[in-house]
Amino acid sequence: MSIQLTEEQQLIGQSAREFAKEYLEPIVVDMDHTGAFPADAVKQLAAHDFLGLFLPGEYGGADAGFVSFVEVVETLSRTSAATASILVNHAMAAYAINRWGDPAQKRAFLPALASGETLGAFAVYEHGPTPGVGPDALMATRQPEGWVLKGTKAFVRNAGVAKVHVVVACVDPAAGAKGLAAFIVRAGVSGLAVGEPADTMGLKGCPVADLIFENVILQDADLLGRLSDGRSLVEETLAMASVAEAAQTVGIGQAAVEHAAAYAKTRVQFGRPIAALQAIQTLLAETATDCHLARLGLRVAAGLIESGEPFLVEAAMVKAFLARFGSRFLIDTVQVEGGFGYSEFMPLPRLFRDIAGTTLLEAPAQFPDGTIAAALLA
Amino acid sequence: MAGIFVFSEDPALARQLLTPGLELKAALDQPLVALTPSRDEAQTLAGLGADRVVVLEGPGTPEALAPAVAALVAQAGVVLVGGTLRGKHLAAHVAAALNAGLTTDAKTIRAEGGRLETTRILYGGLAVCEESLALPAVATIPQRTFPPPAPTGASAPVEAAAVTADPRVEVLSTTPVAGEGVDIGAAPRLVAVGRGFGAKADLDLAVDLAGALKAELACTRGIAEDEHWLPVERYIGISGQTVKPELYVAAGLSGQVQHMVGCRESKVIVAINKDERAPIFEAADYGIVGDLYTVLPLLTAALKA
Amino acid sequence: MPNILVCYKWVLDEQDIKVRPDDLSLDASRAKGKISDFDRNAIEAASLLVEAQGGNVDALAFGTQALKLSVKDVLSRGPNRLTWIGDASAEGADAFVVANVLAAAIRKAGPYDLILCGEGSSDMFFQQTPVRLAALLGLPCVTFVQKMTWADGVLTATRKLPDCTEEVRVAGPAVVSVLGEMNKPRIPSLKQVLGAAKKPSEELPLSSLGLAPGDLEPRAVRGTPKGFLMNRRNIVYKESDAAANVAQLVASLKAEGL
Repeated sequence: MSIQLTEEQQLIGQSAREFAKEYLEPIVVDMDHTGAFPADAVKQLAAHDFLGLFLPGEYGGADAGFVSFVEVVETLSRTSAATASILVNHAMAAYAINRWGDPAQKRAFLPALASGETLGAFAVYEHGPTPGVGPDALMATRQPEGWVLKGTKAFVRNAGVAKVHVVVACVDPAAGAKGLAAFIVRAGVSGLAVGEPADTMGLKGCPVADLIFENVILQDADLLGRLSDGRSLVEETLAMASVAEAAQTVGIGQAAVEHAAAYAKTRVQFGRPIAALQAIQTLLAETATDCHLARLGLRVAAGLIESGEPFLVEAAMVKAFLARFGSRFLIDTVQVEGGFGYSEFMPLPRLFRDIAGTTLLEAPAQFPDGTIAAALLA
Repeated sequence: MAGIFVFSEDPALARQLLTPGLELKAALDQPLVALTPSRDEAQTLAGLGADRVVVLEGPGTPEALAPAVAALVAQAGVVLVGGTLRGKHLAAHVAAALNAGLTTDAKTIRAEGGRLETTRILYGGLAVCEESLALPAVATIPQRTFPPPAPTGASAPVEAAAVTADPRVEVLSTTPVAGEGVDIGAAPRLVAVGRGFGAKADLDLAVDLAGALKAELACTRGIAEDEHWLPVERYIGISGQTVKPELYVAAGLSGQVQHMVGCRESKVIVAINKDERAPIFEAADYGIVGDLYTVLPLLTAALKA
Repeated sequence: MPNILVCYKWVLDEQDIKVRPDDLSLDASRAKGKISDFDRNAIEAASLLVEAQGGNVDALAFGTQALKLSVKDVLSRGPNRLTWIGDASAEGADAFVVANVLAAAIRKAGPYDLILCGEGSSDMFFQQTPVRLAALLGLPCVTFVQKMTWADGVLTATRKLPDCTEEVRVAGPAVVSVLGEMNKPRIPSLKQVLGAAKKPSEELPLSSLGLAPGDLEPRAVRGTPKGFLMNRRNIVYKESDAAANVAQLVASLKAEGL
């Protein structure tokens, strides 16, 4: 694979840029204030094939590949990382069903996910430290009437708006976090409730809530993959998502550094623009460089996903890198803009909160360094 | 017969064209001929330095006027056309008929070394460039680029020429542009509004300020053509009006070059915008960084005090 | 069902062009290409027309070899087929030359029922090409069109004039220039982007059009563009006290005699 984007990938990026300008720019400030779900923008995402971006053509997808996917995610995130989060979480469900679904499941769910008729959600986290071990862990128990699911999935993105969920449940209480399996759960099934929307720090507009299972009954046909696939399904889907989240982080960082650069050119202090100060130049140059290198790293990981090669280590590296440096993009750019950058009528505070959502949230839970070290030490 | 020909259906613009027309007449030693669709206006033009005036009698559609003018100017040295939409269509047709070059919206114009030298803007106003045209040459000229010449006291002969309709283009109906008939270009002071205003009702803040300044209200393309909050005759920019008032107050508009090209020859430009980085501040003499919802009422009050 | 041709120009995005402050020369080294803004409206108008009632849309462009970059872009926005003429001489071409080249290509590829162009290009904004093209092809031309419909070989269009709008009826073939307000060009979907690769495009050498040297010689020779010099005082009041800012501004305006 080439690290340069192909002409198609560039044009897809251009479409995403035009899309963001037309449909996201006008709503992004309000979304950040109200946290309202951008229903119209999501409809437009569907109309422009973004929701089925990497799904195969036979299920109505655009079959545009993962490199295009991360290019789109980065581009949308420059304007609205929250909208990109909705897309990424949807893509996690689509990815899992496409990768582990049997033909009947793919036929049943992928066309609607690809067309955007149904929005997807991927539910893995719980209130306990790892899935399957907390007091309200989601347990799936084999009963005569089928699989009975009881417990709570926490911080589920797209909760309440998704019509199809890929839900990770513990099927072996003795094995705890090692005894996981995934189920496809339609919204509206008996016993499933959506908790109160969580008021999050950033990425406002991407809904987050608990999914509460009170004896939801599912059948074997709802099981995604084999029981023994659960662990790798979770690991791989989260790794795919971490590449997409890295693209979000880079998009947010790029938006911040471009904003700060433009600011530095117009902000005059001591008789000259602050852009002339070396300290400012260093802050801007370092941020731009880190963004660029992270972009190359995540593009390589996306290329591996696209060609069906192992990518967990590369995904973990991107995640580990941005866990360390991602939030610095905003720390540095706020410093460039000083008091103005700190004001809520400038975009940096929103970007700051958003980048917290894309860099800090999951890295501690997943410990990417462990994945990388394990590969090195094997 | 060689000549410098000028045409505009807009009376004010027709008079303005005679100023560069007279300069070209002196430089090229060719008679100056004014073409007009209006018999009333013909008399005025005849007293402003034209050597001859031809009244174009018949339909005023671009496709009817264009071949009629092309026939009259077949031997022309230079044809100057008022840069209205009708004029631009006509000028392009005439240039095609003469196999001639055409400068669109010439800002300056002079004859030199047997060629016509003009300047015009490019890239939506970001840049200017010179164009050098072999004769015969055509140029369109925007409103208010030149002042009208002083009356000569003489009166040139007035003739008539027939214009026949183009049977291929049938006019089904004509709708006058709904407007208040305000001539924004003539207003000495303007308050211009842009997307910084969140709702149509908020424009009252600008109306109040305009009242205090004895100014007219103007706007960006978006306010007129996308939001329809103000009539299109009030919008300033490359495809709208070009103005040169003594004072231009730009409130809540970012100052995109496509807008600024319509107002950047104003004497004094004042910008009010909450984004310190907005390009309008580079194009302004005075600026206030702040929320227009706070600043405009204060400014209105201060001016009334 | 109309057979439509849309002409477009591939221009540098003016937002990427910087003016060098020392000598006012233009720096376009980081400027990307784009389909000229109003030509997108023309492409959209053609696409909407054939989506509503069938027919075909072809695209035609004259430019430098940079046009190659526009092939998939334009085909993702609706047209079924593209003919393009890439030649270095396009750099200095005026509307006289552009119209000669396009007319020659249309004589070769046509006939078309409707030929659509944007009102003017975002870079040069000549606003001449459609009218010149019509004159060369001996076709009627309706300029500055806001709205149009097509039925049974007849175009009904609303055009803008300085003081009014006119609804006109023209039997095709005809040339039409389209205003930006006519429509909102679509953003291509991913399937349209990927589908563009499957559509045919053909590069025609300029020499194949049978034009005489005089036809390719610009009548208006363009000099080197210079950035427009903004010479303003740039005094900005930005204290946190809005009333103080206003007081300073009022004092400044008084000093200006306003």
